[in-house]
Amino acid sequence: MSSHREAPAIAKDPVADSTDLYAFVSPDAPNTVTLIANYIPLEGPDGGPNFFEFGDDVLYAIYIDNDGDARPNVTYRFRFQTKIKNPNTFLYNTGPISAINSASWNRPQFYSVTRVANGAETVLGEHIACPPCNVGPRSTPSYAALAQSAIHNLSGSHGKVFAGQRQEGFYVDLGSIFDLGALRPFQNLHLLPLPAVPGVNGTKHLNVHSIALQVPIADLTRDGSSRFSDAADPKAVIGVWTAAYRRKAIIRGDGDDVESGPWIQVSRLGNPLFNEVIVPMSKKDRWNELPPTSDSTFVQYVQHPELAKLLPVLYPGVFPNLAAATGSRDDLVAILLTGIPSGIISGFQNFTGTTLADMLRLNMAIVPSSSPNILGLVGGDAAGFPNGRRVADDVVTIELRAIAGVTYPLVNPGFTPDGAAGLIYDIQDPATNTPPVSYLSSFPYLNHPESGFDVPS
Amino acid sequence: MNVSRRAFLSRASLGVALAGAAAVVPGLSAVLKLPAPSTAAPRLPLNAEPLVAHVRDLASGEVSLMVGTDHVVLRDANLAARLYGAVFAPQSKER
Repeated sequence: MSSHREAPAIAKDPVADSTDLYAFVSPDAPNTVTLIANYIPLEGPDGGPNFFEFGDDVLYAIYIDNDGDARPNVTYRFRFQTKIKNPNTFLYNTGPISAINSASWNRPQFYSVTRVANGAETVLGEHIACPPCNVGPRSTPSYAALAQSAIHNLSGSHGKVFAGQRQEGFYVDLGSIFDLGALRPFQNLHLLPLPAVPGVNGTKHLNVHSIALQVPIADLTRDGSSRFSDAADPKAVIGVWTAAYRRKAIIRGDGDDVESGPWIQVSRLGNPLFNEVIVPMSKKDRWNELPPTSDSTFVQYVQHPELAKLLPVLYPGVFPNLAAATGSRDDLVAILLTGIPSGIISGFQNFTGTTLADMLRLNMAIVPSSSPNILGLVGGDAAGFPNGRRVADDVVTIELRAIAGVTYPLVNPGFTPDGAAGLIYDIQDPATNTPPVSYLSSFPYLNHPESGFDVPS
Repeated sequence: MNVSRRAFLSRASLGVALAGAAAVVPGLSAVLKLPAPSTAAPRLPLNAEPLVAHVRDLASGEVSLMVGTDHVVLRDANLAARLYGAVFAPQSKER
């Protein structure tokens, strides 16, 4: 998956497990950028009586690098606090939750947002209300209205925020891809063949918890620029990543856990699938502890990705050119670790410099597409992944095709991609340009969560 | 020197603790030969948060101390030995 349960340690700590990160120029507010960091993978909608919530004991952060050194220039920090209104009931809600401040909601969650820039911390909001989980028609009627009331303006015209449960927007054939790299539509060609069948969205009917910001472009740029007319302008490019932290020490028991010490990073996410597919299992936990500035130590796994070696083995005779390619995959290094420099793709760049770092890179000079292509840049739509990432982008197919060789000619003109490299997909043919998930047309773009009553696990 | 009974018992307990630790912790006898820590009394906060101590390595005397989000790492073999001694002292039965 994108980054759901992608490393052994964080798989055991879902509240702190970052699953997806999105960054895009807001299509309905193009003077802003939307940043979404998802946590808590694979939420079954009927997760009562203790429905999912953010960790009060976790520090969540979204980082922006705007000068190419892979260090944060702008940081948004989020801390959550859960209340129990009635300590004498086991119920999440004691009646319908008709409003976000309903007395019937027994376990509301609140949060603070702090912006750090130029060494100064600014609290942009405190005691901000999350929406409840989508329990069902009796408990959370009019869920859309509830969620809408959980979109809050941040102080000082710093944009708006939403933090709460959302429908999983990332799609992948989870059951197939980890069954020895099978792609159901092409599994008749697999080393262990089965009849070809349509792909299955393994995250369908599951939810996630999103931290979403929509902030002015000027809040993210190195010099306060609010718009760019030239895509070649290096100031238009930002690098984005999210991370979660826990305290260094915890003493359990005696009725109340005691936490102490500095915040220790336990989860990190920039580009989808980086830690999941690129980093070997023995190093995944360590990668989650490190900052992006340490990613040069992982460059060999990008230059020579394991999956590129596996594809010709798993699909005999399908990828002969990929099998014969032994050079460094500098196309993947550019996509994942430096951004794509000018001169590679006409009219486009999202290069942040030579510092190797896994960040989601967004060129904010690229205006939102009026007809988005879910294949993003490889589909001819420069407003999509790997130029940032929009909620509907088919990142699994994009990265599969890239690793299979479709982007290799960008740096190695002598390489001819195998015919299959440009045809493979995970769930459904992206030529239909129809994602298997529906989304909202406005902030926070990810759809309302599935209800526990309507979609039992 | 005017030593109260409570203070006397406290010092006696520490002595017992260190002696006990020296008997059961390998290498601790050598540790105990190191210089005594400073006796200067630090200024303490009135409403102190919990303090967590982590003796990473008794032999080197590396002790991590955490209060709030602060974290200091000391190399104080005497302190490390006293902490171990408190654990292994005969009266330390609450485990």
